[in-house]
Amino acid sequence: MSDDGRYAAQIAVVKQECESAEDEEIIKEFRRYEEEFLIPPEDALRSVVRKFQMASGQQVSTITSSSRTSFPEKKATKFSELDKDDKNVTIEVAVLSYIPKIQTVRGEERQIAYGRIEDSPWEGERERWDFTDWGDHAQNLTPGAVVRLEGVSVNFWNDRRSININRPSRVTVLKEGGPAVTQLSDEPVSIEVAGKQEGIVNIVARVLSKKDDSIVKRDGTGTLEVVRGRLADSSGTIGFISWRAFDNEVGSLIKIDRASIRRYRDTPEINISDSTKIEPYIDKSFASVEELNTSTRSKIADLRDGMRDVEITVQVENWQARTFTNADGEERTVRSGDVMDPSGRCRLTAWCDISPEAGSFLHLNGARIQFWQGSPDLVVDDPNQVIDLSDPPWDAIDPETHWVDVDLTTLVNGGSRRGIRTAGRVVAVRPDSGIVERCPECRRVLRDSACVDHGAQRGNEDLRVRFVIDDGVSNASLLLNKEATEAFIGMDQETVKAEVTKEGQAGFVAALRDRYLAHNLIVNGRALIDDQGAMIMADSTTIDPRTPEDAANEVIAKWGVIL
Amino acid sequence: MGGDSVIQQPIRRSRQSAIRLFAQEYADADLPEEGSGEYDPSFVITKLGAKVNRALVGGVIDRLERREHESGLSFTGHIRDPTGVHLFNVASFQPELHPDIEELLHRFEKGDRFLMLLVGRARWFETDDGGVFTSFRAEEFTVVDKDRYTHWLVDTAAATLRRLDAFEASMESDLTPAALEASGVPRDLVDGLILARGHYGEFDTENYRVGVLQGLSMALGSNAVIESAPAPEASGDQPTLAESVTEADDGGVASLESDPEKDVNEVILETILQRDEGSGVDYDTLVHACVMAGHQRETAEDAIDHLRDVDGAIIEPRFSFFQLLPE
Repeated sequence: MSDDGRYAAQIAVVKQECESAEDEEIIKEFRRYEEEFLIPPEDALRSVVRKFQMASGQQVSTITSSSRTSFPEKKATKFSELDKDDKNVTIEVAVLSYIPKIQTVRGEERQIAYGRIEDSPWEGERERWDFTDWGDHAQNLTPGAVVRLEGVSVNFWNDRRSININRPSRVTVLKEGGPAVTQLSDEPVSIEVAGKQEGIVNIVARVLSKKDDSIVKRDGTGTLEVVRGRLADSSGTIGFISWRAFDNEVGSLIKIDRASIRRYRDTPEINISDSTKIEPYIDKSFASVEELNTSTRSKIADLRDGMRDVEITVQVENWQARTFTNADGEERTVRSGDVMDPSGRCRLTAWCDISPEAGSFLHLNGARIQFWQGSPDLVVDDPNQVIDLSDPPWDAIDPETHWVDVDLTTLVNGGSRRGIRTAGRVVAVRPDSGIVERCPECRRVLRDSACVDHGAQRGNEDLRVRFVIDDGVSNASLLLNKEATEAFIGMDQETVKAEVTKEGQAGFVAALRDRYLAHNLIVNGRALIDDQGAMIMADSTTIDPRTPEDAANEVIAKWGVIL
Repeated sequence: MGGDSVIQQPIRRSRQSAIRLFAQEYADADLPEEGSGEYDPSFVITKLGAKVNRALVGGVIDRLERREHESGLSFTGHIRDPTGVHLFNVASFQPELHPDIEELLHRFEKGDRFLMLLVGRARWFETDDGGVFTSFRAEEFTVVDKDRYTHWLVDTAAATLRRLDAFEASMESDLTPAALEASGVPRDLVDGLILARGHYGEFDTENYRVGVLQGLSMALGSNAVIESAPAPEASGDQPTLAESVTEADDGGVASLESDPEKDVNEVILETILQRDEGSGVDYDTLVHACVMAGHQRETAEDAIDHLRDVDGAIIEPRFSFFQLLPE
């Protein structure tokens, strides 16, 4: 019985489905699948269960087994093809989330999980359904994965349909997702792992910071007192929000059980609620606050919308103050400027009185990140968050030449960024390139002399060019504003206008296509990344100056080609 | 602004990137993957695992024809790169491209030949016996100089080397996404390689390396090759139209017998009989065979048309590929 342990989980399932089966027979069967057919026990489970059910002729002995064996397999590609009592369904889905949960089933504590899946995972209109995993398929049902579900059933309850993934159901991974959602256990996970999950986690972490905060209730019935702060371990840091008293001091090491991870914009956050258990933890080797603090500093390239409590050092490129009257009639001043670090550029906005010199270095604590014009910008609210460094952390960066090289694929798969340089070949020249008319109120491009919001308008003429650039793997829209267009095509707005008058809009676009299609463009600018792809706003654009010989020699060197 | 109507896109999907590939890799591909939903992209999967929905291809213009039919005007053409011929068309529902392609047609019909680069969407045609013929529907195209074309050759050589490298890595690996990525296959090639390896039998990757070497050596200065004919050993058993064009334009076939031994019809029928391996014999091959047998190019073209349209002895199941009329 030495294999008993290895196959214990599967044996239990087989016996649940088929009581008369002998342990030794079951083990023999799994071993045969594993050794002769090279099918691991998890994948063999369904076949083995079916084998024993048929062998014992008990196809109608229980409701579950009768339903499973008497229903023919139904293959579906869309949830909409499923009826409310379909059983033994085969369908391919994308896993969106997987949230384990302990539930008492017939007096026994069992781990189940729920989450959401989408049909048509490969392309197309997707529909989203809930699912419940009764069979502990956590290893295969990882968020982001595309899987084939076999032997699942439709659950219809309260007018809502969902999918039950049963214990003998089979889950085949077609496309790997992220890391498996950790099994619910007492084992805590690292902050890095926790940050990629959804649902309930346990972590051990040191409290880096905390402060009381209040949240105004949406219904206007008052405020909620909360505590916000930051936790760290050697793998990283994560913000937290506690909806109840949080008495642990800054610097203390704590174990947090059953906190939930929620996402605020793009940033995960630990939520501490009444069902969360927090206790002091003792681990002499756990990194100290000082050690953890050095690892919590961010780079501009890593900033994401919604982050809080960011510690970062930046070099100031310029600084302005602007006074305006807000909706309540108050006069307020906002100060802001462009800042840089070796990884990129962003803006810094201060809702407090600071006036750093251009070229100075600032160390910011507790900054928050807000999206503005599509890129993540630093915000500070209090002069105490800002330290003017006398000791430069790096050799002064020249803002004129500070563009961080990012290849198109990395750029498209990352977050919105400023101050990047990337490259790609022109694969499309958009037909609306050239002279446009903009709404004088909102600068939006007028269609048929009318603005979507402001109606018929006498527009302001502007010049812009839109390309799609592509490196063979990834692509992005490329937008050149008037200045960037004039510099790139070597024509000013008046000349373009004359050209359009002479050759027509299509003629102008055709001329652009003849000049630029398939040329490799090197673009300095900022990138706006969202679900629909990437858009690069160019500050300046040039055609790759390499000769074909240079390019060929690079390829030959890279791939070790012998001609 | 011009009168361009704004097309409301139902749902914006992320755009498919333009695969760089040589003609041979695309012509060899016979594995289409059709998207299941209405707006899903479809792909042609090549032996090296490229999933082609959109591509950036290039070559010298080889054929260009206007066709008139009930639904309007369309255009069909061939461009030839160092490895073979890409077929493309401009459909009747792309009127915005018609002025430009008409201009090229005019140049082509005057005898002008030029290098083109073209961004196209993958299309394919499946014959009843299961053959798959691949082509592109043009999206954007332009005539380019040799410098821009050579950049494309280098870029395409690099992309092909990358696929060859991934393909070789896949030979040592299990065909699962995780295993392939672990053995160094770039993420964008994983799906295509799994499908390709599951569908295509064994083949010699050296065929594809030849195009790469050609592209690179052209970029390094052996440039005479590009605008005349590709080296015969590189293009395999397919003689190139460029050769016959050059010869015909020179006023005939001075070096060949002026008195052909065989009737031109016989040459055509025999060539098809010998060379057709199920997918037909391409037009250029037939013309070339006739020229080699001492016939004028025009005679050959007329004979092909006559055999197809009048005698009915041969059929053209796919544009520019000919088969004998089945018994």
